[in-house]
Amino acid sequence: MTTGFQKALDRVTRVRGVRGAMLVAGDDGLVVAESLMEGVRGNALAALAASLAKRFRRASETAACGLPQFIHLQASQGSLLAAPAPSGMLLVVVAEADINVGLARLEMLKAGEAIA
Amino acid sequence: MTQTRAVEPWTLDPLQHFVGESAARLALLTTTSGQVIAQHGFTRAVDVMSAAALGAAIAASTSEIIRMLQEPAFRMLSHQGQSHGIFLARFGTPRGPMLALVVYGGDSSIGLVQLFFEQFTRDLAAACPAPEPAKPVLAADFERDLHESLAALFGR
Amino acid sequence: MTDDVRALSAELARDPGSLVFVALGEALRVRGRLDAAAKVALAGLEHHPNLADGHDLYARIVADAGDVERAADEWSIALALDPHHAGAHKGLGFANFQRGDLDAALEHLELALAADPTDQSTVQALHAVRQAAQQAASDPGAGASVERPAVFAGLEGADSGLLLVDPQGRVLAGGLRAQGGPDVAEEVAAYLAGVSQEADRSARLLELGEWRWIMAEGDAGHLHLSAPSASALLLLVRDKSVPSGRLAILAARAAEVARRWLEGQTL
Repeated sequence: MTTGFQKALDRVTRVRGVRGAMLVAGDDGLVVAESLMEGVRGNALAALAASLAKRFRRASETAACGLPQFIHLQASQGSLLAAPAPSGMLLVVVAEADINVGLARLEMLKAGEAIA
Repeated sequence: MTQTRAVEPWTLDPLQHFVGESAARLALLTTTSGQVIAQHGFTRAVDVMSAAALGAAIAASTSEIIRMLQEPAFRMLSHQGQSHGIFLARFGTPRGPMLALVVYGGDSSIGLVQLFFEQFTRDLAAACPAPEPAKPVLAADFERDLHESLAALFGR
Repeated sequence: MTDDVRALSAELARDPGSLVFVALGEALRVRGRLDAAAKVALAGLEHHPNLADGHDLYARIVADAGDVERAADEWSIALALDPHHAGAHKGLGFANFQRGDLDAALEHLELALAADPTDQSTVQALHAVRQAAQQAASDPGAGASVERPAVFAGLEGADSGLLLVDPQGRVLAGGLRAQGGPDVAEEVAAYLAGVSQEADRSARLLELGEWRWIMAEGDAGHLHLSAPSASALLLLVRDKSVPSGRLAILAARAAEVARRWLEGQTL
């Protein structure tokens, strides 16, 4: 199963501008599997992305928009992307600010399906 | 408004920062024998003393199992309940090993607690004054220390 | 220092184990001196850890300071010590009402009234919560007629899908309805404060620079959150048929309108 996770992450990290991808236990914010460039703090990425997704989910569900299927945080020097994965996991990507988000999103959704 | 108090004043700032970042509901810093160094969120001394004793006992019994398995020393345990999680960790400081017992709710996670706990241990190490020479421990000292600790922890 | 606080303080100084700490803490609380009240309550609880009134007092102090969850914990302790404590039931009624759990709020308020049938404030609270529960049951859209500045007039979804809030999660302008139904502006605004704080922290700790916006595609709708100024957050909500690129354009237009309005407010 771990190899399956790794293959799915590798697929996402092949997108230009992606600095790291990881599977995170959504409720716990702990790393399940990761494929990160040097310098990316995996535990921080996992904990913070899961917390952000959890907080955004409350707002989204209260606004009757349902469970977020894709979250994109755009910052001045980078991007953070997150999508739900099977078994309560979250697929998280950290990338350059000018990443092709459409392509990354597509690969993330495919990776999510591959894990299922 | 919830109070953070410390017997050892140098632990106060790191603990307040940790609690603020991790959104911990309760936090207790003790020696490995359960002597309280600082606390956040407890309103009753009886709860603090019980939690300190239980935390030290859990760490000691887990350490013993770990020793039997010939594994490296005890570092941390966590339990996720329905509405609260518990995190217990042993870590080193220039003043010797310490235990941290943290209770968090749904607005936090074990990932966030662990993340900011790493920073907390670094902050404690940086804030720790030079070690004092060891003194003999007498029963009378222990009783006095206990009362002084309670006074510091609850502002009496 | 007023006379009653002075007299109570003197009494407590004479006898630190006295139960007068409850009256002193309450006197300080009603005067808004919450730090002093908390010190008195915590010191009193040291002498009387099993006094339900002491936990009720500390709960009211932390509730006044805005920490309703912590207050609920303390009221729960008070109830564990005295299952018929009217103040603790009333407090938990308040805490559950704040959380939107009207059934639990009603249950606690009814128990509070049973414990002290003469407390008029409980009667009034019970009446208000029953009305809110009836309203929620009969008309989910009721209570939506809050007057808010028409900042986004002329923009699509001006009062149902555009919400301007301050960093503390209070609504400044606009409106938000869940699928065009009930007004959820206040509730969503409260959550947005936490989202923005987490976005700030994530961007900082992951070295991503300053966050500019967050976009989420939900099962049933899309959301776009940005910060048109340091003192405001803007949420745009649209049906899922609106593509994310168009969402960003709409959000940029609304942010410009919000910025102009905010500048006008500070003049």
